[in-house]
Amino acid sequence: MRTRGLLLRWALRDLRRRWVLVTAIALVLALGTGTYAALLGTSDWRRASNDRSFELLRMHDVRVTLSEGLTAEAGTLAAAVGRIPQAAQVQAVAERLILPTLVDVSSAGQQVLVPGRIVGMPVDAPVDRLSVSSGQGLRAGDPAVVLERSFADYYDLPDAGTLRVAGDRSLSYAGHGQLPEYFAIAGGGGGAFTTEAGFGVVFAPLETAQALADAPGRVNEVVLRLASGADDGAVAAALQQELDAEQLASTAVVKGEEIVYRTLYEDIEGDAQFWRIIAGLLLAGAAFATFNLTTRVVESQRREIGVAMALGLPRRQLAIRPLALGVQISVLGVLLGIGVGVVTGRLFGGLFRTLLPLPVWEQPFPYATYLQAAALGFLLPLLGVAWPTWRAIRVEPVEAIRVGHLAARQVRFTPLLRRLALPGRSYSRMPLRNLVRTPRRTVLTSLGVGAAIATLVAVFGILDSFTGTLDDFDAEATRSAPDRVTVQFADVFPEDAPQVAAVTGAPQVGDAATTLLVDGTARSAGEEIPLAVSIRDLGGGLWRPTIDGGGADAARSGIVLSQVAARDLGVQPGDRIELDHPQRTAAGFTRATTTIVVGGIHPGPIRAVAYLDRSQAAAFGTSGLVNALEVTPAAGVSRDELTRALFAVPDVASVQAATAVTDSFRDALGAFTSVLGVAAAVTLLLALLIAFNATSIATDERARENATMFAFGLPRRAVVTMGVVENAFIGLLGTAVGLGLGYLFTRYTVEVQLHRTLPEFGMPASVSPTTVVVALALGVGAVALTPLVTLRSLGRMDIPATLRVVE
Amino acid sequence: MAQPVRDDAKPVVDASRAAAGTRVDLDGVSRRYRIGDVTVTALEQVDLHVDEAAFVVILGPSGSGKTTLLNLIGALDVATEGRVRVGGQDVTAASRSERARLRRHTVSFVFQSFNLFPGLTALENVQFGADVAGRAQARQTAESTLAGVGLAGRANHFPHQLSGGEQQRVAIARALATGNPVLLADEPTGELDFRTGVAILDLLRKQAEAGTTVLVVTHNREIARVADRVIELSSGHIVADGPPPGGRAPVSELHW
Repeated sequence: MRTRGLLLRWALRDLRRRWVLVTAIALVLALGTGTYAALLGTSDWRRASNDRSFELLRMHDVRVTLSEGLTAEAGTLAAAVGRIPQAAQVQAVAERLILPTLVDVSSAGQQVLVPGRIVGMPVDAPVDRLSVSSGQGLRAGDPAVVLERSFADYYDLPDAGTLRVAGDRSLSYAGHGQLPEYFAIAGGGGGAFTTEAGFGVVFAPLETAQALADAPGRVNEVVLRLASGADDGAVAAALQQELDAEQLASTAVVKGEEIVYRTLYEDIEGDAQFWRIIAGLLLAGAAFATFNLTTRVVESQRREIGVAMALGLPRRQLAIRPLALGVQISVLGVLLGIGVGVVTGRLFGGLFRTLLPLPVWEQPFPYATYLQAAALGFLLPLLGVAWPTWRAIRVEPVEAIRVGHLAARQVRFTPLLRRLALPGRSYSRMPLRNLVRTPRRTVLTSLGVGAAIATLVAVFGILDSFTGTLDDFDAEATRSAPDRVTVQFADVFPEDAPQVAAVTGAPQVGDAATTLLVDGTARSAGEEIPLAVSIRDLGGGLWRPTIDGGGADAARSGIVLSQVAARDLGVQPGDRIELDHPQRTAAGFTRATTTIVVGGIHPGPIRAVAYLDRSQAAAFGTSGLVNALEVTPAAGVSRDELTRALFAVPDVASVQAATAVTDSFRDALGAFTSVLGVAAAVTLLLALLIAFNATSIATDERARENATMFAFGLPRRAVVTMGVVENAFIGLLGTAVGLGLGYLFTRYTVEVQLHRTLPEFGMPASVSPTTVVVALALGVGAVALTPLVTLRSLGRMDIPATLRVVE
Repeated sequence: MAQPVRDDAKPVVDASRAAAGTRVDLDGVSRRYRIGDVTVTALEQVDLHVDEAAFVVILGPSGSGKTTLLNLIGALDVATEGRVRVGGQDVTAASRSERARLRRHTVSFVFQSFNLFPGLTALENVQFGADVAGRAQARQTAESTLAGVGLAGRANHFPHQLSGGEQQRVAIARALATGNPVLLADEPTGELDFRTGVAILDLLRKQAEAGTTVLVVTHNREIARVADRVIELSSGHIVADGPPPGGRAPVSELHW
């Protein structure tokens, strides 16, 4: 009992002597476990926040929107709901009028003119309630509108003011607010993508919207809230059928398929998968490092353990001191890990609140995740010391207490060591030899660095994949007529309509080409995906997509799908698909299904975008119709001047540059980068700590070798250079492993996980040369330079004392 | 198998360096250490002058200050008081880099526990000495020096593959390969059996005869019999200084 107390006191003295090392190892562990807990903990509080936010605003279960250009008398859509067989399951209904528009909130300080949408809604809507974040909401009898919160926040707009919408009409806004569909601005409709910076949503009393559209008493959308357990798909199908019977073609979306709803939840799942990878890598890095470092510390006690064995101390008591080291690191690691986790969690919480300003944000402490991380954090160092302790107490005392040359152990890979005879001075061979003669240490340190670098590459690889895809898309979009803009009308018009002539005849317009944009659904072999079909001149026009497979004639006689759409439908050029699309009839629009051949594949990353040659418009009953124009500025006119001029033309709903989609994505990536930046910073810190600890321990282990070199007059810089070269090899090895692993994780995340979360967007995984250079700079450069921190301690070395230390 | 030390082994002192002067002079040298609140005096007012090419044995019990003396001469340590000159250069006033230069080009060490580099072969360990001293043809010098200590056949072996005697011979070869004119050996036979120890002393003796100033620290009085001069230390003071009693004996007469 007394011996045990002595050993514990000894362990405490050990701690006092090397508290810096113990803290540094614990910090490595804490970074791994803390970030692990913080990253995995995000899922719980994001899901809770989503649930509360959607429920608070009573989000719809079904949304049915009439086809482009169609409206109905107010009450028609609600009456149709009343006629469906499942009418009893409908708890609440609200009719809306959705108008595409341009939103101008320019002020003296900034120019803000973006495409957007007016959502005309009942002021006391029982479904999809408006959450007002500042100012005041919609009020009966008051035409004032409410600006979408993210858009207003992005441009730092005041709570109240005036704005202008397409047709150069002025509106007063009284506050900022949110509807569930716009918690995240992820869709501009028809599969297009945008963000809060490039898409302005205006919530207006229904009457105000109807007045703006010159369509008093008209609506074009209905939202339904169903009783619990109701079959939303069946309700949607029944309602569509009911509306079809009235020649009101429509599209229906159930809550689970709403892009925002789905994205917000699937994003959590996707992120969780991604975080699991990142957290796993960080934890692995920390585990390798902890195992390596604790092993080496215990190895250094080998002789003392031998002496105690020689004095007859029982083995289990011998294990107390090294195990106490493990416990010290464990306890400190867990405590620091909780701190790291809480700080990182708060950092993530703040970032998510900024990125996704939901009406309700809850961040409960994820006890289960932290408990799991703490258990891991506690066990890892214990395992790290258990193995060398077990080895140390199993040797014969006589072996353990050997000193000097007798203590020299058999070195593995001796023949290989001999072959590593690099030309030059003898001591230039030492770094590589040191690595080979201590393979376990080399491998564990390299794997620790490798795991950290893999995390970094995986994080940046995702950004690279995004930006690489966007760059390709930009290049494709600006292949010809790069300064062209797409003008979208609020309705469908004949090609010779005055509204079209008003645009093509405007003095600011140079060339123009007509387009008809229709929504549709493609089906093949049981797969079904929504499409935004652009009916245009594929043989000419201002711009046409690059088309692979089938040739130009084939492309003009079939539909041109995106690569992702073709992959998801499992089709190639020459195959046939079923296309569900609106078809014009004498009374309006109805839905029809046409079997059509796949004429070609275009390289665009957005799955929904598809092209049809205008020669096929007859099949859709849309010959001679247009709802969009592509126009270039006249000579001497800038794109901004053109946009502003067209803003004033009646019935123009939006004007967007050819690269608007990628601009929006780039903007969104900026925010995404800040989230990933946290992970990257932790990774960098971890890699540096691993390298620093390894170097620090190596310096202790090689104290006598270093002292001998100094005794022979080798300058300090030469000794440090050897450390730098040795670390550079470890860094190189770790970075090579990290780059390989990182690329695999990037591919998995982008091509499997991200495709599952965001199937509308297809992109190949890529790791840019910049990322490789950054990984090399950090993995090799930073790791190699850590021996520089030993310069001072080497300078203060007591050479005679170190030389006389036996083992 | 290890080869015996060759009787005709040529000393490897760099003649040009030896000519630069290898006298060792200590005037009023003291070395004190502070350990907490206590000041420990390792050497007190030591005056010592060693001529070139002398084989000097420094004797004394543990704690007498003999290793401290060797460290001061070897510029591993700095005197608290007095002046140490090696080859005319004042070590006491030298900067850290100047002391390092002195260790590179003037003195070389042989340690009790050899301190060979485990990652280098025997030949490379020896080449290390030549490399650090900046000798031309370092590889060839290392080969001939290693052959000189009878280990040509063990050149490609690593320290862990050598016996204790072989390791010490490699350590001596490493010191000799520097070509430096002053060789300082701290208990060079301390970890060796009698036969190997004698062989090592023979090797050191030959270097002195060839012009190297050799200072050997030991507590083994028998070793002092082969010295030109024996200096005895006790509690930091020189208590005896002169030729060995009964005159210098050949190495072959040693026994312990």
